[in-house]
Amino acid sequence: MPTGDPSRRTFVRAGALALAGIVLGTRTGLGAAPPADAGPDDLPEPVKKVLRERFGDRTPKSGHVQLDVPEVAPDSREVPVFIETDLPVDAERWVKGIHIIVDHNPDIYLAGFTLSRALGAASIDTRIKMRRSSHVRAIVETSTGELWAASRFVYTTLNGCV
Amino acid sequence: MSVTIGDPRIMLPEKIGKDAVISVRALITHPMYTGLSRDAQGRPIPAHFIDRVVVQYGGEEVARFEWTSGISRDPFVAFPLRATREAPLTITWHDNAGATFRQSVDVRFSA
Repeated sequence: MPTGDPSRRTFVRAGALALAGIVLGTRTGLGAAPPADAGPDDLPEPVKKVLRERFGDRTPKSGHVQLDVPEVAPDSREVPVFIETDLPVDAERWVKGIHIIVDHNPDIYLAGFTLSRALGAASIDTRIKMRRSSHVRAIVETSTGELWAASRFVYTTLNGCV
Repeated sequence: MSVTIGDPRIMLPEKIGKDAVISVRALITHPMYTGLSRDAQGRPIPAHFIDRVVVQYGGEEVARFEWTSGISRDPFVAFPLRATREAPLTITWHDNAGATFRQSVDVRFSA
């Protein structure tokens, strides 16, 4: 967990980056498109469908959301996800929900966290499964109906959806 | 095949000041089967996962989580809570087979 032996962490990180190099190299070699961070107008259709079902006509904008995920997941059955936001949580305005979407999972809409102003802040730390390398998206919904989003591409090596 | 389920745990910081935003960490033992995997004999393992988590503080619902089997085995979650009063914090985990697991801890302010 967070309090690890620093030398071990450095080692793990170095290993993960080396692995990322291999994976990236392979993808480049195959001429695969780089995993550009698709903007709201360039989302895969299944993701758009989930957004429409959940949020109707409202489109998430980039910003106010920090999404911490590994660049390379050493274990795709257990990928750490930490989401936080600088949006206010007080009596007038608060964060009503945090949503996790994984483009290439069997369930694209992975989880939704309904929050309240009683929490005093808005963040979620959890562990998720990933079927394969994919964008992971975090969407934050405010009590005033605003939607803010962040996304990151996570490389995986094995199918973690067991 | 027997699978261990349950043992819900809630972890709070050792020291809690009044009105401080604390981190609540919660863990439960559960296989979180997706329904996509097979056992050693090749038979499909039915989907079995926590699909709903309800958090109550002083009897009031303060958060509610909607999960799929995409949450990892032995689900862990951490979230903030403003410790406005000394009161019980209760978390209830529900799974798609109808089982319910509940754990409660007291939020107490440090002297």
